Amino acid sequence: MATMPILPPMPVLDLVKSFKLKTKQQELLIRVSILCLVYILAFITRLFSVLRYESMIHEFDPYFNYRTTLYLTQNGFYDFWNWFDYESWYPLGRIVGGTLYPGLMVTAALIYRILHFLRFAVHIREVCVLTAPFFASNTTLVAYFFGKEIWDTGAGLVAAILIAVCPGYISRSVAGSYDNEGVAIFALLFTFYLFVKAVNTGSLAWSLASAFGYFYMVSAWGGYVFIINLIPLYVLVLLITGRYSMRLYVAYNCMYVLGMLLAMQIRFVGFQHVQSGEHMAAMGVFFLLQVFYFLDWVKHMLSDTKLFQAFLRITVTCAVAVGAIALGLGMLSGYISPWTGRFYSLLDPTYAKDHIPIIASVSEHQPTAWSSFMFDFHILLFLFPAGLYFCFKRLSDATIFIVMYGLTSMYFAGVMVRLILVATPAVCLISAIAVSATVKNLTVLLRSKNKGVQTGSTKGSSSSKAASKALLDQSQPFQKNGAIALLFGAFYLLSKYATHCTWVTSEAYSSPSIVLAARGAHGSRVIFDDYREAYFWLRQNTPPDAKVMSWWDYGYQITAMGNRTVIVDNNTWNNTHIATVGRAMSSYEDEAIEIMRSLDVDYVLVVFGGVTGYSSDDINKFLWMVRIGGGVFPVIKEPDYLVNGEYRVDKGAAPKMLNCLMYKLCYYRFGEMLTEYGKPPGYDRARGVEIGNKDIKLEHLEEAFTTSNWIVRIYKVKPPNNRW
Amino acid sequence: MAANFFTISIIILSLFLVTLSAESESELVADLLTLQSESESGVIHLDDPTVSKFLTNPKTPRPYSLIIFFDATHFHDKPELRLREIRREFAIVASSFIANHNSSNTKLFFCDIEFSESQPSFQLFGVNSIPHIRLVGPATESLEDDSGEMDQAGLSRFAESMAEFIESRTKLPVGPIHRPPILSKIQLGVIALVLLVWSPLVVKKIVAGETLLHDPRSWVSGAVFVYFFSVSGAMHNIIREMPMFVGDREDPNKLVLFYQGSDMQLGAEGFTVGFLYTIVGLLLAFVTHALVYVKGATAKRTLMLFALLLSFWAVKKVIFLDNWKTGYRIHGFWPSAWN
Repeated sequence: MATMPILPPMPVLDLVKSFKLKTKQQELLIRVSILCLVYILAFITRLFSVLRYESMIHEFDPYFNYRTTLYLTQNGFYDFWNWFDYESWYPLGRIVGGTLYPGLMVTAALIYRILHFLRFAVHIREVCVLTAPFFASNTTLVAYFFGKEIWDTGAGLVAAILIAVCPGYISRSVAGSYDNEGVAIFALLFTFYLFVKAVNTGSLAWSLASAFGYFYMVSAWGGYVFIINLIPLYVLVLLITGRYSMRLYVAYNCMYVLGMLLAMQIRFVGFQHVQSGEHMAAMGVFFLLQVFYFLDWVKHMLSDTKLFQAFLRITVTCAVAVGAIALGLGMLSGYISPWTGRFYSLLDPTYAKDHIPIIASVSEHQPTAWSSFMFDFHILLFLFPAGLYFCFKRLSDATIFIVMYGLTSMYFAGVMVRLILVATPAVCLISAIAVSATVKNLTVLLRSKNKGVQTGSTKGSSSSKAASKALLDQSQPFQKNGAIALLFGAFYLLSKYATHCTWVTSEAYSSPSIVLAARGAHGSRVIFDDYREAYFWLRQNTPPDAKVMSWWDYGYQITAMGNRTVIVDNNTWNNTHIATVGRAMSSYEDEAIEIMRSLDVDYVLVVFGGVTGYSSDDINKFLWMVRIGGGVFPVIKEPDYLVNGEYRVDKGAAPKMLNCLMYKLCYYRFGEMLTEYGKPPGYDRARGVEIGNKDIKLEHLEEAFTTSNWIVRIYKVKPPNNRW
Repeated sequence: MAANFFTISIIILSLFLVTLSAESESELVADLLTLQSESESGVIHLDDPTVSKFLTNPKTPRPYSLIIFFDATHFHDKPELRLREIRREFAIVASSFIANHNSSNTKLFFCDIEFSESQPSFQLFGVNSIPHIRLVGPATESLEDDSGEMDQAGLSRFAESMAEFIESRTKLPVGPIHRPPILSKIQLGVIALVLLVWSPLVVKKIVAGETLLHDPRSWVSGAVFVYFFSVSGAMHNIIREMPMFVGDREDPNKLVLFYQGSDMQLGAEGFTVGFLYTIVGLLLAFVTHALVYVKGATAKRTLMLFALLLSFWAVKKVIFLDNWKTGYRIHGFWPSAWN
């Protein structure tokens, strides 16, 4: 200390002064650092599953995506595009290139290539695991720019923060959930942002960009249908409310024509884009816009208003008539296909229940109860109506768009649980407007004391309670205290939101479902890694051309991790094939062996939870196999497996149930096993009963492998006996 | 094989019997046809004497099948049984069936039977719970055991599932179901007239630009309604056909308004919570845009305070209800050093 040289004070002060930022620069610095922090936050909050388990792909569908991505990186794009997959749907195979949305795989492969170019030698699996969190981070940036476009920078920042942790989005974008939705929500919001920007500026460049954004969305997810219907609806509303402008004309036409041409390059979409009923609204609005433009031009040319009125009437009638006739002819000739059931069930929600049970039975297609909204949105639900009100108070082309996006997606979210995902960006944006406008005005009030009270009218429609109070009654004694209290209230709510989101992410949305976790007797975490054990066994111990029969749920996983050919998988395109497997599982062993021989089956894989108490196993799914099998082969009848309409596996079970293949394979030698203290041997912990058939003999199959917790059991089909 | 043999034997047996008892059987069928034509919807009303006349007395196989709806008038006001609704659907199937066969059908007749006037018949069938629909085939000997009961699971689109049931059991095609139009012709006429009277006025308003479409307030209320409709789970109630509330099992005078468990909700419950969701946002909007115009500082302050307290209460209530319904205990993740 003593030896420290004493510098002359003046140069230091100068140095500090030269570094001192102007207010605008400070603001920019703060904004950029907040955005950086949000970017990182959105990424790391999705890493719970990686930290808790390990870096792996989750669930079922992502395994298919992972497998195709692997193929893409190993064999190149053209092989991928023309890939005919012999390893699934044996003996039919599957044209993979023409039946998927390639956006996700191409994105991951591109990231992989870039990383390798930069000499980061990562495995493609790590890229796949982290793709969804990476795109979630990018979504926060888009949300910021979108918020800035529709309101102001403050709203943009709040929107970025809200969407970074919103559970509705996290549910589909945690690390390892390598599914189409992971990139699609980014693409969706990005397209909307670019389109709104194009409408606001009328610039050809922005509309071109939005067409490409749309192309990316089409390549990534089937949900692009939402975009191609919402945007025409928005244009229509603008036309009705008299907000037609040249900007709109440029933006929509460019986006529609180019977007359509680009979308048709995706083989899975192809000519559907001009032929199917779902896309007709966009085309109709496209022609309507031309009529509008034409009328505008004629009006400009004609000076006589009466003449114009007559002309208007004739043109509109003709246009509507021609459109209706074209639509009718298209429908009649079959050139325009009618709406698909899935789309129709969104418009008339009771339709699916009556006509398409396969859609109605899927758990993520269930209608949403209020608690699910609360779970996924939390306080955003309270802020949403306020945000709506703020938007209506400051109507512009952009706010009309966000209001329409919010309301339509909110309605769809009420119809199907999974569509909460689509509503999330809109809810975050609209709520962000409410938060930002309120907080901004409160702070303006707090700071205004020193500068003298503002006139308030400058705030225009977004004037807050506090600012307005200040305007009318400047000498109110506790307006400042009130503002402070309100600010604290707002921050309390927002911190509650953060807590809720973190908790939900950690507890509900971060389990990989391929590795099962349970609480042990002492509260410790017990991990069941039986699936991967079984698939690894398949990979190592069976001939490379072995065919594995299992229920379709496990098809993608077997091909991806076990690298063996499967009969059916999660791409349920051929109902008859699935029904054949269902029939084999629900027949007696000697009938099943005929079916299995005809399908060249070498191994049969079943999932069994009787030892661990894992309830979503094949015995609990068995009735669906019977139903689907019986739907095609009437010899399988559901009542044969039930006793008085009740599904049982104990002594009182139906005789057919006790002797069908599925029962035998699941409970083979289970009768000798003691699962729980104080219970008889053969006590099934998943259903809580003692099984009814303990003496199971297998004739044509033999046990090949059972995992350590008995969750997966694999049987080998014996070759036919020698004739002598 | 066995089924084939069975049907062949039935056909032979019935041919044999038809020659024997042709006269009395044709009389019975004629009686049934008259009864059917007398009834408005084509549903024959049975009582104890007619049950014995048409079902117990004639020898099997009878030349006709009867599908019987078991009714109880004194249960009509119990909404959870939905007797009236099912009875209406039953009548629709009956009239459709008759219309599709041009009244020339003698194989299948639709009947209903009422509990208070024909208790012995209910015992004969062994029916002790309603709603109950049973098909008595031509070969049915014992009414209690042999006759087929219709599964009550598919109560939505009841007429269609009943038609499927009939087709699968009797091999008689029911044909398309003719539902009566929602609006009768008179109602349609009245509506058309009203529209006609209104149309000049509406056209005038549209030309002048004074419709609801031009009024932002109507758009706001529409938007808030869509929001309310979605978040209250009204769609869930419509699709699942949830009742507004259910009676308490232990105490019939009490009503259960809230269902514990996150996979389901009751109607009233959804609307209550949806209302709580909406009110906070609307209060914020009200405070910022309407309260400003209130004259007088005290009134303003009181309203402000009131709005604050109400919002606070609503948020608290929703959080409490959500925790109760889902059973989750939400907690933060703090650094372990802080504990």
